[in-house]
Amino acid sequence: MTTDAMSAAAPLAAAPVEARGLTKRFGPLTAVNRLSFTAPRGAITGFLGPNGAGKTTSLRMLLGLITPTEGTALINGRRYSALPGPLHAVGAVLEACTAHPGRTARNHLRIHAMAGDVPGERITRVLELTGLAGAADRRAGEFSLGMRQRLGLATALLCDPEILILDEPANGLDPEGVRWLRQLLRDLAAEGRTVLMSSHILAEVAQTADRVVIVDQGHLVAQATLAELTAGHDRGLEDAFLRLTGHTPEVPR
Amino acid sequence: MTRLVRIELLKLRTVRLPAGLLITAAVLTALFACTEASQAGRHGGSVGSLATAAGLRSVTTATSWAMLLAAVLGVTISTGEFRHATATLTYLATPARGRVLAAKAITAACAGALFGLVAAVIATGAGLGFAAARGDHGAHGAQFALGASTLAAHAAGAVLGAALLAALGAGLGSLVRSQLAAVVGVFIWALIIESVIGGIFTAARPYLPYTAATTLAGVQLGLGPGGFHVTVRTHPAIAAAAAPGPLPFAAAAALLAGTVIVVAVVARLTTVPRDVA
Repeated sequence: MTTDAMSAAAPLAAAPVEARGLTKRFGPLTAVNRLSFTAPRGAITGFLGPNGAGKTTSLRMLLGLITPTEGTALINGRRYSALPGPLHAVGAVLEACTAHPGRTARNHLRIHAMAGDVPGERITRVLELTGLAGAADRRAGEFSLGMRQRLGLATALLCDPEILILDEPANGLDPEGVRWLRQLLRDLAAEGRTVLMSSHILAEVAQTADRVVIVDQGHLVAQATLAELTAGHDRGLEDAFLRLTGHTPEVPR
Repeated sequence: MTRLVRIELLKLRTVRLPAGLLITAAVLTALFACTEASQAGRHGGSVGSLATAAGLRSVTTATSWAMLLAAVLGVTISTGEFRHATATLTYLATPARGRVLAAKAITAACAGALFGLVAAVIATGAGLGFAAARGDHGAHGAQFALGASTLAAHAAGAVLGAALLAALGAGLGSLVRSQLAAVVGVFIWALIIESVIGGIFTAARPYLPYTAATTLAGVQLGLGPGGFHVTVRTHPAIAAAAAPGPLPFAAAAALLAGTVIVVAVVARLTTVPRDVA
């Protein structure tokens, strides 16, 4: 290996989250196509793309839920399935990731506390952190979408993971909830944790993320800091996003 | 593995369906045991007097419905994860999916054993209670027509049979993933397909899994759940000539355990590794 190649590989190997040439085909459809990106420690990485761009499939490949057709998904340099204590390494909130509707929030968390071998006090802690302490003994089926998102976040944070992988975490949250989530993610990144967050709400990402990975039709179209990406665009991230995903932004009259 | 089983048991205790199925199993067992007992010994009836071993046995082994519901519980243990999209969190916590399947089968067996135990206690209690109330004593001055060791063996068979059927249900649920399809499939298999196969191919009857589980619990070969006679029959003369007896206890248990292992291995190699989207 040349010195150049080694120096290029070193930062990639150090990234807590890394996709290397990820490809996923569902029959004739290629949902994700040779996608490579990283999410560094101590930063919020926004994962953007139009509907059907392959965001959710990519996140599920990182978490070992979907097997890539080609390529490798690595968490701390290993496949998810090879992680010792995966819940302590990664906390995840995925779109369809809900609690059993007949189970109370507290019991849902008890199950995952047992799975992650964390003490019961953590349940109380994450219920308070996510504002669900008053609803802990209600069944998840009675929860609003916003409360289910909060329960998902509580579950993800239960084992105090170093990495958070979140699929549309602001979905269903009210404005106060969105602001709370933004501050929570910033605090977690400031503690040195890695946050990878998919979203299609560009204004929210512009306010929250440090870096942005943009995908379109399964391909990587940009990977840069927010400042790099928005430089020279009057309307910031929205202009850059529309240009990169093949839509010419309309000039405001 | 112990922790995974404890997690699965906690999952069962924190939703209402398992308790609902257990109560249903208990009520159905009580209903059929009492119905059989009330008809026992009636002139022209199909159930002999409780003073005979066959008559008393038809009541004390009315555990077939509970065993069927144990299989349904096993199915829901696996398919519930996909119905409610909780499989995502389960596999995030334990990416080794074969271990999850094994833990679910063991948990199903534990819960199924409880179904078998509850049903055996109710059915035995009903049989002995009716016999005592009517003064239907056994032969040679025995208090009851069936001895304690026979009753205990039938009860043990109900516990073991229900446990193995529940584990089989967990394996089938992993294989099918669709709760509705798996539950309907279990009922159709147990109530219709085994009756048809057993009726046409009499020699194969003892080897059919649900039938083997019920004969393990002492149910007379050829009786469906609740003591219903199977609908498809061969000519009595042919049936009498060809009909084999039930499998011995150990053989029936080994057959069921083998079926559980085969279904679980097939699920592990086919559907279990599939994408969770």
